Amino acid sequence: MYRLALNMLFGDRAKLAMLLCGLAFSALLMAQQTSVFFGIMSWTYTPVHNIRARIWVSDPMVEQANDAKPLRDTDLYRVRSVDGVAWAAPLHTSFVQARMQDGNFKLITLIGLDADTFAGAPATLSAGRIEDLRLPNTVIVDEWGAQLMGRPVVGPDGKETTVPLKVGDTFEVNDLEARIVGICKVRRAFTGGPFVYTTYDRTKQYTLGARRTLSFMLVEPQPGVDASALCDRIEADTGLKAWTSDTVIWDWSDRSLARNTFWWFWKNTGIPFSFGTAVALGLFVGIAVSGQTFYSFVLENLKYFAAIKAMGAGMGVIARMLLVQAFTAGLLGFGLGVGMAQAIGRAMIEKGMPPFVMFPQIFWATLALVLGISLVSAVIGIIKVSRVDAATVFRG
Amino acid sequence: MFKKRHLLIALALAGAGAALQLTRGTASETPTLPPAYAPATRDKDGLIAAAGLVEAVAENTQLGSPTSGTVQKVHVKVWDKVKAGDPVITLDDRDLAAQLQVQLAGVVAAEATAERADDAAKRWTGIKDSGAVSAGDLLAYQVAAKEARARLALAKAQVDQTRVLLDRLVLRAPIDATVLQVNVRVGEFVAAGLKAPVVLGDIARLQIRCDLDEQLAPRMRAGLPAKGYLKGESSRVGGGERAIPLKFVRIEPYVIPKVSLTGGSAERVDTRVLQVIYQFDRPADRAIFVGQQMDVYIDTTADAPRK
Repeated sequence: MYRLALNMLFGDRAKLAMLLCGLAFSALLMAQQTSVFFGIMSWTYTPVHNIRARIWVSDPMVEQANDAKPLRDTDLYRVRSVDGVAWAAPLHTSFVQARMQDGNFKLITLIGLDADTFAGAPATLSAGRIEDLRLPNTVIVDEWGAQLMGRPVVGPDGKETTVPLKVGDTFEVNDLEARIVGICKVRRAFTGGPFVYTTYDRTKQYTLGARRTLSFMLVEPQPGVDASALCDRIEADTGLKAWTSDTVIWDWSDRSLARNTFWWFWKNTGIPFSFGTAVALGLFVGIAVSGQTFYSFVLENLKYFAAIKAMGAGMGVIARMLLVQAFTAGLLGFGLGVGMAQAIGRAMIEKGMPPFVMFPQIFWATLALVLGISLVSAVIGIIKVSRVDAATVFRG
Repeated sequence: MFKKRHLLIALALAGAGAALQLTRGTASETPTLPPAYAPATRDKDGLIAAAGLVEAVAENTQLGSPTSGTVQKVHVKVWDKVKAGDPVITLDDRDLAAQLQVQLAGVVAAEATAERADDAAKRWTGIKDSGAVSAGDLLAYQVAAKEARARLALAKAQVDQTRVLLDRLVLRAPIDATVLQVNVRVGEFVAAGLKAPVVLGDIARLQIRCDLDEQLAPRMRAGLPAKGYLKGESSRVGGGERAIPLKFVRIEPYVIPKVSLTGGSAERVDTRVLQVIYQFDRPADRAIFVGQQMDVYIDTTADAPRK
């Protein structure tokens, strides 16, 4: 019976193509748009990725990772005085204008690391050594920044190309020289420009007129101390705000700086709305096209179903046949659509723009939605077939 | 026909498989690595942290000049050890030296005058014949001799005065100490009471001045032990014990505004700090310099010894 059902489905090629197109297109739209959405949203908490620490401590009024409210230098010693803290290091973050050698200005994200320990330093340097930051007027820029701030050079063929900055090149921040001693590999950020790392003490010279330069404190709990519990203690003892640094935004902990940043952008920007519309469109188009196609497929095959009915098959058998047909089409459409989405995604990841993050949750949710569309189509078909009289087959 | 159906199924499976494989790579969390250099780590509860600055015991002496003048000679270099009374700087003394020559000549002249007046007085006093000199004349000779002796004493006192003034042009070390800074060179002008030309300090033993946030001040008690971690020593080769044990000296009774180090022209202070003084012996295996910063952990769980 099921083989018969599948033969019915695959037999009508034009209908099948139409059905698969609708399902695949809606799967593609949902998976691809959601992935780009989460890609852009994952850029919002890039600082948590790029500056690694177990706990971040900030001013109590800070709402998300790109929001730096200056603290007093002595707050560092108050945090170091909390039981359960193994060590705490200062961190400066700010957005400043950098002046390129060609006179152009670029916005950069200036990161001041503790020169003593380099806590929070980028994990991978593609050139240079982190220790060279201890030399005067030195910075480390990320690869994207090196490209972005590069020198435009006109080649012999008259074509303008950009030569990326390399170790030894300089630019200016606040009228002070910034000499590049390293290139690092970090993620790109939603706000501000490229990440430029220097030492915490030097940010006092690089930031214009800022009296207090302590933006965050990076804290390591003592071995065996739970990060979330230590956050509670830091908040109780100092009145500051403490965050954990896990970047799994599905984790429902309210302490996660990444998750709070994600939801801050969710609430305060139009990004979720615009992408939500696209995803909803995918869903509606999917339901409409595949529902309608499947319905007309059922209508066309109505006489066969009536014949099956007339042969004595119960409604249950016919319903199962329709479900098999709908879910087979759904799974095939899902596979094709998601396959196209991942192909686009891989091309995007290669280019790095726009960002593309396909969480496993996106994969499974798309699958559930596509199967839901199939279910709705099948139910419409079942209702139609159940109403048909077995005698139809004899009326021609 | 049959084949095409399989191709379709294989294509869908491949698409789903590739997508599932892509989801693995994107959901990863960046691992948290330990810092490149080990930070000063707390090993127990009940510690309070402070920022410390290394200074010489009994503070540093900003040697001042009592007079203004140009520098004629600098007797010391940085790192020189000086004893109390050793010359440090000599100011230009040519005017006083010239004056001294004149005054010395004046002493010789006064001596000659005094000798002659003395001689005359003696001669006239020695004559027995009462009619040879009147009593009035005799008195006049004796007073003249006395006056000449007084002028001689005055001339000698002036020479002594000039010698003292000359000596004052030589700045001497008031204590046994090490020269930490020399801020003048030969030929430069030193104004009385302005910038200290030379800074002296006893750096055989160092002490550390810790700034404790006023909010931590209630937890501080006299006599608590502490450990210090020199800034910049996290990269110490050999990985030996970094912590320097500190001995409590005193708590400064007056809470002062924290000194901000931004160097801005409109410096404002937003917090006050309690200053606590600790002392430590120089570790044999490493150099420690006056002015270095230290991270200090004060152990509030320890029993404070009574003095």
